[in-house]
Amino acid sequence: MSVLGAESRRDREIRRYPLLVYTLVPLGALVLQAWLPRVAGRYEWFDLPLVITVFFALSRRNPLQGSVMGAVMGLFEDALSHNAIGINGIAKTAAGFLAGSVGIRIDVDNHLIRVLLTFALSLVSSGVYLFVARFLLGLPVDWSWLMELLRAAGNGVIALVLFPLLDRLQVRD
Amino acid sequence: MESLFTRYRNLVVLLALLLIQLVGLAIQVRRTTSGTSTLGDTDPKGVRLIRLWANAVISPPERLVHWSATGMSTTWSNYIDLVHVREQNKDLKQTVGRLRLEQAALLEDARQGQRLQAMLGFQQKYIYSTLAAQVYGSSGSDRSHVFYIDKGWHEGLRPDMAVITAEGIVGKVRDVFSHTAQVLAINDTTSGAGVILETTRIRGILRGDVLGQLEVVGVTADQRIQPGDHVLTAGGDLIFPRGLPVGVVKKVVRDPDRDGLVDIILTPAAPLDRLDEVLVITSTEPRFSPQQQDDLSKSAEEQAAVPAAIKDQVKASEIMAEKLPGLLDPNLPPDQQPLNDSTNPTVAPPPPKPLHPDEFSASNNDNSGAPPDAGSANHSSSTPASPATPSTKQKPQTTPPRNP
Repeated sequence: MSVLGAESRRDREIRRYPLLVYTLVPLGALVLQAWLPRVAGRYEWFDLPLVITVFFALSRRNPLQGSVMGAVMGLFEDALSHNAIGINGIAKTAAGFLAGSVGIRIDVDNHLIRVLLTFALSLVSSGVYLFVARFLLGLPVDWSWLMELLRAAGNGVIALVLFPLLDRLQVRD
Repeated sequence: MESLFTRYRNLVVLLALLLIQLVGLAIQVRRTTSGTSTLGDTDPKGVRLIRLWANAVISPPERLVHWSATGMSTTWSNYIDLVHVREQNKDLKQTVGRLRLEQAALLEDARQGQRLQAMLGFQQKYIYSTLAAQVYGSSGSDRSHVFYIDKGWHEGLRPDMAVITAEGIVGKVRDVFSHTAQVLAINDTTSGAGVILETTRIRGILRGDVLGQLEVVGVTADQRIQPGDHVLTAGGDLIFPRGLPVGVVKKVVRDPDRDGLVDIILTPAAPLDRLDEVLVITSTEPRFSPQQQDDLSKSAEEQAAVPAAIKDQVKASEIMAEKLPGLLDPNLPPDQQPLNDSTNPTVAPPPPKPLHPDEFSASNNDNSGAPPDAGSANHSSSTPASPATPSTKQKPQTTPPRNP
């Protein structure tokens, strides 16, 4: 694990992907997130839109793009649920921004770091969700941190498998 | 100014995104009179539009994925995985024969029950028109237990319709789109349904907990509630008809918020996390077969015959009452009441006078002056007037004091 300075990190290569990947991968994540719980049953301990948000934010090393990607994914998730639209949006906006900010400063080529970051950002996203829903809006939200830990662990495992596959889709000069 | 924006561009965009979404949330969340926040029963127009767009984007590929997976599963199970099919077919034929016999017996009971219910005026709405639908997706979040079905407004679905399976209730239609609909499952924390325990008849409110389990909340502690008890819909919520299976009692736990109350954790009757086909109750109007309609018409005739017989009896009693004299007639003045009519032949005669009157005899105070024997012999013919008439009114008796 190597921690580098901000200046040197900016000089590093920013990964680029075809436009189709920017479109289809998030769409596929949203579709699978909506469909897979039927297969997984109660073991839906994953959040594919968050994993994809973290992946693109880390790869692009751009907090702005991470924020926008997180906002779009979160709003879609909210729209598909029966909850208020914007809670997931805010949580994933924050997660995307943090992922993009961290991507500038930390070597994210290391798979282990990306997995740990995904785990940590999942918990951050859950915390922001809880803060907005319960404390900012005053909504009665039942909460289980055990479920959030399991979801964060599931996201980490998915990131471990998915990130190397998505790395292959990047545009190489 | 431009350099400032460029320098803090990321932060400005982040704050703008957060602010926009916060404003959107503030529009959706309402404050109740009790001081708590809640979401409205129906979405505002803008929010509904966003849900419509999201559904339009996600639903087609989701249905494609579902269709592909179902097709592969069907191909595998129908054409490849055919081991032991003959044995199963043989067993199923035997089962069908047995069930036909049971069905015949149950049908007879059902007819009897319909007749009784119709006569008692408790005609239950337990035969419904339903629409089969395929579940193709979910919200994707365990914080929102909703799923999507492939039938919508054009197929006749409307909000708040009950969704069931053959095993039990599943949820209610929440949002209806043109050809799809969102269903709120009963194990969501925001759902609610009236339920009743089959054996103890204890009622409660069904909802979901954070783990997606079904629970009946706020039930008074009762030792009769045992694991394995069946829970049915109570029918008071105007969504689910009465008597549908909900689940089986798994365990009873103390309510953490209220003393003396317990929460009943249920095992759902329907497989809520693995739903494929569901039935939407599109109408609770009775829809009977010709035979059942015949039974019901007979019941209705019998029901109509009862008040007619009662009416006939009332009419006969009125006729009798007209013929028989009454003691009091509200239409007559007091001096013309039948009670005071001395010509009334039906008035009971006064008791005969004693042969040897003493100080306690009423005749001592009688001022008629007639001898006791003559009076007693001719009393019924010479003094036919009632004792209540003024002419024969007796004075109050006074008993003389006795000396020891």
